[in-house]
Amino acid sequence: MNEPILVMDAVSKAYSAAAPILKDISFSQKAGEFVAVVGPSGCGKTTMLRCIAALMQPDQGQVLHNGMHFFDPPPWLSIVFQDYNRSLFPWLSVRRNVAFGLRDIDKRERDERVQTALQAVALEHAADLYPWQLSGGMQQRCALARSIVVQPKLLLLDEPFASVDAQTRIDLQDMVMDICKKMSLSTLLVTHDIDEAVFMADKVVVLSTRPAHVVEEIAVDLPWPRDQLTTKESPEFLRLRHRVYTLVRHQAQKHAGANREELK
Amino acid sequence: MTAKRNHIAPFVWQICTIAALLALWQWAALNHPAPHLPTLQNIAAGYLRLWHGDLLFTAIIPSMSRLAVGFFIAVAVGCVLGLMLGYLRELDPWIRPVLEYLRFIPAVAILPAALLLFGPTDTMRVFVIAFGSVFPVLLAAIDGARRVEPLLLEVARVERLTIPERLFRVVLPAAMPSIFAGVRIALSIALVMMVISELIAADNGLGFYILRNQRLFQTANVYAGVLTIGTIGLVLTLALLALEKRVLAWHRGWRGLANAG
Ligand SMILES: Nc1ncnc2c1ncn2[C@@H]1O[C@H](COP(=O)(O)OP(=O)(O)O)[C@@H](O)[C@H]1O
Ligand SMILES: [Mg+2]
Repeated sequence: MNEPILVMDAVSKAYSAAAPILKDISFSQKAGEFVAVVGPSGCGKTTMLRCIAALMQPDQGQVLHNGMHFFDPPPWLSIVFQDYNRSLFPWLSVRRNVAFGLRDIDKRERDERVQTALQAVALEHAADLYPWQLSGGMQQRCALARSIVVQPKLLLLDEPFASVDAQTRIDLQDMVMDICKKMSLSTLLVTHDIDEAVFMADKVVVLSTRPAHVVEEIAVDLPWPRDQLTTKESPEFLRLRHRVYTLVRHQAQKHAGANREELK
Repeated sequence: MTAKRNHIAPFVWQICTIAALLALWQWAALNHPAPHLPTLQNIAAGYLRLWHGDLLFTAIIPSMSRLAVGFFIAVAVGCVLGLMLGYLRELDPWIRPVLEYLRFIPAVAILPAALLLFGPTDTMRVFVIAFGSVFPVLLAAIDGARRVEPLLLEVARVERLTIPERLFRVVLPAAMPSIFAGVRIALSIALVMMVISELIAADNGLGFYILRNQRLFQTANVYAGVLTIGTIGLVLTLALLALEKRVLAWHRGWRGLANAG
């Protein structure tokens, strides 16, 4: 029980020798924990998630799920991709998209589970529409429903709220926190939004600019349940936000400095 | 009111054109009686004779059965092989040169060899039809399978689909629009090969019927046979388009939005 569900042990990855993307990334996630990884755009967050999902293997280091190494995605892992509109099957209705990963169970149970997942993301009314008939926020919820319907233990979210409007974003944040707590999921959220990371997570992992490594891990002890207004106004939230902000800004300045060096 | 008239106009013109062509033919047939220029009544009578009675069973049905079997084999083989080659790219370098060469052989050229191989049998004719029409399907399936959105394949991997499941549940539907385009071309080639295969050492089928009536100077029957083949081609194409409209409804909506947005 106390064994971490995910361990990143000095993971490095490069698409080409000249441009390393990940450099010695190490952190771990306990079962049931909500971890947010913050890093600037292009720093390699998606690459890291693809290594964690075993969609590709790191060059060095290890990704351990419950202490085991995987060459294919572990059965208890689910992922919501950043490009949600490309990750839904355009030839399947919302209902069938959600049911995509459910096999080897009888039809009645499958229908029930799909219905439950659709309810969890408030999408029952759109079950028979096609993904391309939905708004961005609804597509994202459809992708979310598809990944929770298989009852995973570890859920990876790749900037799931990056391209929706502010109000939708807030609704989605509440929805995701609610689902993760109810299903006692271990969730790994990747984002470039500092407020979002601090607001949602038990632990924030700050990544540097490329090649990405872990700058600092920050425990977030804000009480649950969290509220968009009261939590975000609490001194503890502001303190943590300040701390993460400073780290990220420091990274950005270092990056700018390095660029100036290169130009000289 | 005006919109309605504009809608009707092309249809009226089409009817007029056809009527004018038929009238011209009939005028020529009546004023210059010749064995190679039968009147419309005679052609129509021959046409109707083909669709009921003995001729239905000795001409149309044998042709259609060969067409159906050959075309079905072509579509099945083309899809299965094409999707595998398109998806399992490692296989491609091995098989691609052979394919690229084979597709330049006009299907007609295979006819004498097929006759030697199988004799003047139905197997030979089905083979020729399948050989001729398999390539458009095959190449379209390869092309479609290659252009599957990579993210969808990753979703399939995360959902732990086996490779056959990925082919059937992701690659096939994604390649469907491309496959249908290939199948439409294949259908017209299959019709051509059906007729040609029945011109050699046959004793039934539409091709045989046309050839025999030509030798007997039954010109009206020759034209009736030609028109029958045209009818079959038209009906099959319409059926295919209707099927495509159903199966690819999602694709029109999806692409329509992509173009608009
Ligand atoms: N398949 C790939 N091949 C080569 N380079 C890639 C590939 N995928 C991503 N990259 C590069 O790796 C870097 C990090 O990408 P990514 O992991 O998507 O960053 P993030 O998700 O943090 O924005 C980018 O500079 C990107 O251009
Ligand atoms: Mg990314």
